[in-house]
Amino acid sequence: MGEVILTMKGIDKSFPGVRALDKVDLEVRKGEVLALMGENGAGKSTLMKVLTGIYTRDAGTITYEGREVTYHNPREAQADGIVIVHQELNMMGHLTVAQNIFIGREFKKGPFIDDAKMNEEAKKLFERLNIHIDPRATMSDLTVGMQQMCEIAKAISHDAKVIIFDEPSAALTETEIDRLFEIIRSLREQQMGIVYISHRMDEIKRITDRVTVMRDGAYVGTLITNECTKDDIINMMVGRVIYEDPKTESQVPEDAPVVLKVDHLNAGRMVRDVSFELRKGEILGFAGLMGAGRTETLRAVFGADPKESGDIYLNGKKIQIKTPQDAVNAGIGYLSEDRKRYGVVLQKTITENSTLACLGQYVKGPFIDGKKERKAAKKYVELLKTKTPGVDQLVMNLSGGNQQKVVVAKWLVNNCDILIFDEPTRGIDVGAKQEIYELMNKLVKEEGKSIIMISSEMTEILRMSDRVVVMCEGRKTGEMDISDVTQEKIMHMATMRD
Amino acid sequence: MEKIKNNKFVKIVGFNRLVLMGVIVLLYILFAVLTPILHSGATFVSYERIMSALNYAYFIGFMALGVTFVIATGGIDFSVGPVMFASALISGFCLTKYNIPLPVCLLISLLVGLLFGVLNGYFVAYRFLPSFITSMASMQIAKGIGSVFTKTQSVTWPGSGSANSWYRYLVKWNNIPTGFILLCLVAVICAVVLHKTKAGRYMLCIGSNKEAVRLSGVNTKKWEMLAYVICGLLVGIAAIFYVGAYTTVQPGLGDTFNNEAIAACVMGGTSMAGGLASILGAVIGAVIVALMQEGILAMGFTISYQYVLTGLIVLAAVTADIMSRKRKN
Amino acid sequence: MNKEKGGFLQKIDLQKVVIISVLIILTVFFSIASPAFRKYTTIVTLFGYMYYILLMAIGVTFPLITGGVDLSIGTGLVCYSIVGSYLINHQDMPIWVGILATLALGTAMGAFNGFVVSVLELPPFITTLCTMMIARGLGSILAGGLTGVWPAAGTEGGWVRSVFRMTLPGGTIIPIGMIWMLILIVIMSLVLTKTRVGRYTIAIGSNREALRLSGVRVVKWHVIAYMISGFFAGLAALAYGWTFTTITPGTGAGFELDAIGAAIIGGTSMTGGKGSIVGTFLGVLLISLLKTGLPNVGLQANWQQIITGIVLILAVTIDMMRSRKR
Repeated sequence: MGEVILTMKGIDKSFPGVRALDKVDLEVRKGEVLALMGENGAGKSTLMKVLTGIYTRDAGTITYEGREVTYHNPREAQADGIVIVHQELNMMGHLTVAQNIFIGREFKKGPFIDDAKMNEEAKKLFERLNIHIDPRATMSDLTVGMQQMCEIAKAISHDAKVIIFDEPSAALTETEIDRLFEIIRSLREQQMGIVYISHRMDEIKRITDRVTVMRDGAYVGTLITNECTKDDIINMMVGRVIYEDPKTESQVPEDAPVVLKVDHLNAGRMVRDVSFELRKGEILGFAGLMGAGRTETLRAVFGADPKESGDIYLNGKKIQIKTPQDAVNAGIGYLSEDRKRYGVVLQKTITENSTLACLGQYVKGPFIDGKKERKAAKKYVELLKTKTPGVDQLVMNLSGGNQQKVVVAKWLVNNCDILIFDEPTRGIDVGAKQEIYELMNKLVKEEGKSIIMISSEMTEILRMSDRVVVMCEGRKTGEMDISDVTQEKIMHMATMRD
Repeated sequence: MEKIKNNKFVKIVGFNRLVLMGVIVLLYILFAVLTPILHSGATFVSYERIMSALNYAYFIGFMALGVTFVIATGGIDFSVGPVMFASALISGFCLTKYNIPLPVCLLISLLVGLLFGVLNGYFVAYRFLPSFITSMASMQIAKGIGSVFTKTQSVTWPGSGSANSWYRYLVKWNNIPTGFILLCLVAVICAVVLHKTKAGRYMLCIGSNKEAVRLSGVNTKKWEMLAYVICGLLVGIAAIFYVGAYTTVQPGLGDTFNNEAIAACVMGGTSMAGGLASILGAVIGAVIVALMQEGILAMGFTISYQYVLTGLIVLAAVTADIMSRKRKN
Repeated sequence: MNKEKGGFLQKIDLQKVVIISVLIILTVFFSIASPAFRKYTTIVTLFGYMYYILLMAIGVTFPLITGGVDLSIGTGLVCYSIVGSYLINHQDMPIWVGILATLALGTAMGAFNGFVVSVLELPPFITTLCTMMIARGLGSILAGGLTGVWPAAGTEGGWVRSVFRMTLPGGTIIPIGMIWMLILIVIMSLVLTKTRVGRYTIAIGSNREALRLSGVRVVKWHVIAYMISGFFAGLAALAYGWTFTTITPGTGAGFELDAIGAAIIGGTSMTGGKGSIVGTFLGVLLISLLKTGLPNVGLQANWQQIITGIVLILAVTIDMMRSRKR
C-alpha cells in the first residue's frame, strides 16, 4: 500500500434545511481500493461531488499530491487526474462509443475532428481493459453493462490518478462484475488510488483494501477490510447492533384467495412471459438487480406502458387493463420509485393530491366539494401519521417519507385493494423507513389490502415479503415462499441467465 | 409588509395582482403626463381614450382568458390572434355576403374558434406534438383559411345604426362599456371552472406533473384537450368583441395579438411552466396591454414600439418566474 | 451489433429515398398538370424562393439539434435586411457596411437568444418568440418605418443582384445562387459532422448534463448553435433582399415555419440530438416545390399558408411517432 495521494479533512456542506456533510474526513492512498460505505443518504455521493467541484464546500480542506486544491468544476478535477464514474450513466446516446469517450478533447486534423484516430485510440483502450466493444457503435444501441464499461474506459483515458466508482455494479451482470474487478485490480497495480462506493457487502470484501464508513453525513471510521467482519461494517453503518430481522414465515393464511393473477405477460424487451399470483393480505416481494424488468412488469400490469400479450385476472375474473384508468377502476394503485416525478404533484396541496385519483366522488353538482375533500385528506393524514401543519400544505414542503404517505393516502382515498409499491423506501431516511414498513404491515393485516413490493434492498425483501418473485433480464427466474428464502438463493436467481 | 400580505382581502386577490392594479394607475398617470409633452396637441386624459383602450382590452382579455387555460396545462397557444381573425372573417363573410342571420353568424364565430381549439388540442394531447409548433402550424392554417374564404378581401361588419348592428351593444351601449361587464362576467365563470371544478383541477395538476396525474388513473388526454377547446371557444368570443369594437377585419393578420394575449397572462402571474394560473391576473394583464398600446399611440410612437415592449415584457416575466422557481429548489 | 447498425443506416436512407421519390412525383405531377410549370423560368422562381428558406433552414437546424428552436429568424430576416439596406440608402454607407451590418445584427440576435436559453435557461420557444416580436418592431423603428430596398441592377452596388441570378446578354437568367448553396451545404455538413461545433451541438441535444460533466463548456457551444442560426438568418436576409425587390417592414412572420418544417421533414428531430444538413436541403426543396408548383395548378398564395401549416403538423407528427417508438 502506497503513500497518501488524496486527503479530505473536515468537509462541511449544507443545503437549505439539511446538513449534508458534517466534518467528514477521507484519505486515499496510491495503489489501494478504498470502499466508501453508508446507507442511502449517508452523504457518499455528496462528498464525491464536493471533491470534483460539482458542489462547493462550506468548510474543510482537500489535499491532493501534497498541495491544497479546490476545484470549481469536474473539468478542473479531471485535468488534475481525479475522475468519477457516475452511478447514473452519462452518455450521449446519439453519438458513437469513441465520440463519447473522447468528448471534450477530440483529436483534430486541421479544423476537423479526426474520428478515425479516436476510434483507434478507443480500440487500444478497450484492448488494455480487455473489453470487446466496437468503438463505432452508436451508444444507445449498447446494453447498460456495456455502456458502463465505456464510462469506465472514458474515466481511465483521462490519465487518471484517482478514480471514483459510484455504485458501478448496480446494473451489471455477474460476468460483467468479474470483468470490472479485473479492471480495478489492474488499475490498482498501476498505482492508482481508487474509491469504490457501494453497499454490497460481498463486493467490498472481494475487492477493497480499506473501508471508510459514513452515516447521516458524518464520518464514522475506517477499517482494514481483511481485519474486520461484515457485521463490524454494518454496525458502523447503521449505528446499532440489531439489524432488521427477516420474516421467517408467511403471514398469509393457507386459504387466502388469489386477488390478482398475471398470466404470460409480454411487454417489450424487459418483460418476457412473466406470470405470477398475488393473494389477499399478502406482501409479494419482487427481487432482482437494477434493470431486471420488475418496474417494467408492474407498470405494464398497471397499464402505464402498453402490453403485447398476456392476461390479467382480478378475483378470478379476466379484466382488460389498457390504461392506468382501467387499473385504478379495478382497485389497483401504483406507488412509483420516483415519487416526485410519477407519484405526487409537488406544487399542489395534500388535499389536492389525496383526491387526485377519485375526484369524481368529491363533487357536488359541477363543483368540487372542498369541505368533503379536506375531510377525507385529514382522515388519512391522521391515519397514516403524516407530519404536516395541515392539509393545505404543498406536498413540495414535505419530507420524502411524508410524501410517500401522501401517495399511499391517494390510493386509500380511492379504496384500492391492491397496492404496488415500487422501491417504497428509496430516498427515505432510516427513521421514516420504519414507519413505512409498519404502515405496509398494517395495510395488509388491518385493512385487508394486498401488496406487491419491488425492492432492490435485500434486507427489505427479507423483512417484508411473504413470498418472493425474482426476476432477471425481463424473465421470472424464481419464486419462493419466505421460509425458503436465503440471500444466496435470491442472488443466484437474480443473476440466472439463459 | 408581512401584515399587508396576510390581510384577508389581499390574500384572496393576491398581492401581485394588487401591485399590477397599482401599475395600471401609474401607467395612466405616466401617459397623462408624457402625452402632451411628447406629442404636442394630444391629450391622454379623456373618456374616449379610456373607451378606446377598453375596446382593445376586451378581445385581448378574452384571448388571454383562453390562453390561461392552455398555459395552466403547461402548453402554449400561438394561434389565438389569427384564429380570432379567421372567426371574424368567416362569420362576417357569412353575414354580409350570404345574408345569414346575425345570431347564426355569431355562433359560426364561436364554432370556428372551437374547431381550431379541437385541432390544437387533438394534436397536442393525443398525438403528443409540442404545443408551440402545433399552434404555430394552425396559426398558418387560420391565416390561410381566412384569406381563402373571403378571397383575400377584408370584411366589414354592419356599423352602428344599420340593420343587424345590435351585436355592437355587447361592447358599448349608450356609452356604457358593456364589454367590460361581460368580460368580467366571463372571467368569473372561467375562474370558477379553473379553480372549483374537476376539469380545472385536473388541468392545473396536468400542468404541474402530467405523468403523476396519468398514473393516478386520470384520462389526461381528455382534460388536456379540453383546455385547448375552451381556449378556442373564448377566442371565438374574442372575435365577436373585436368586430363589435372595430367592425373591419383583414385577412392574413392577427399574429401580433398572440404575444399580447400571452403577455397579459404571464404578467398576471400565470406561470409558463404550467400548474399555476390566475384568471384575474389575465384580465388585469389585458388592461395593461391595452393601456400601453393606447399610450404608445397617443404619445406619437408607432405600433412597432408596442411589439418590442411586449416581447421584452414576456421575456422579463418568464425570466422572473424561472428565477423564483430556481430559488425555491 | 453490426447488423443493427446496418438496419439503422438503412432507415436513414429510407427517409431520404422517400423524400426524393415525393420530389420526383410532385415534379412529374406539376409538369403534367400545368404547361406553365414546364418552363425554364419555373426553376428560376423555385430557386428564388429557395435561397432564403434554405439559408434559414440550415441555420435553424443547429438549435433544433440542441433540442431547442429558433422562431426569431423569420421576422429577424426582414428586420436585418431592412436595416442593412437603410444604412446604404439613407445613411450613405458603402454597400459592404450594409452587408456586414445585416450579418452582424443576425449574429447578435442569435447570441442574445443563445444567452437567454443557455444561461438564464428559459424555454427556447418562449425566448425566440419574444425576440421574434422584438425583431418585428425593431426593423421598423431602426429604419424609421421605411421599406427596405437593396441597390437595383445597374445602379451603384447593383452587383448584389447578380450574386444569386446572373442575367446573360441574351436575357436568360442563370440561377447561380445554387452554386453558393451547394458549397454552403457541403461546408455546413462538415461543420455538423466533423467539427467540435457540430459534435457538441449534437451532444447538447442528446444529453446536455453528460456533456457538462465531461468538462465541456456547454454554455459557450450552446450559444454558438444559436449564433449560427442568427448568422444564417443574416445570410437569408441578404438573399431575400437581393432576389426580391422590396422588403416591407412588419412582415416575415411565418417564414421561420417553412424553415423549421423543412428541417423536420429532412429528419431533424424536435427532441434533439439528430439531424442532417442534406436532409434539411431535401426538405427545403420539397417546400419550395410546393410553393412554386401549387399556384400553377390553381392554388393561390393563400393556400400556401395552409399547406405550410399542414406540412408542419404532418412532419412533426411523424417525428413524434418515431421518437416515441424508441
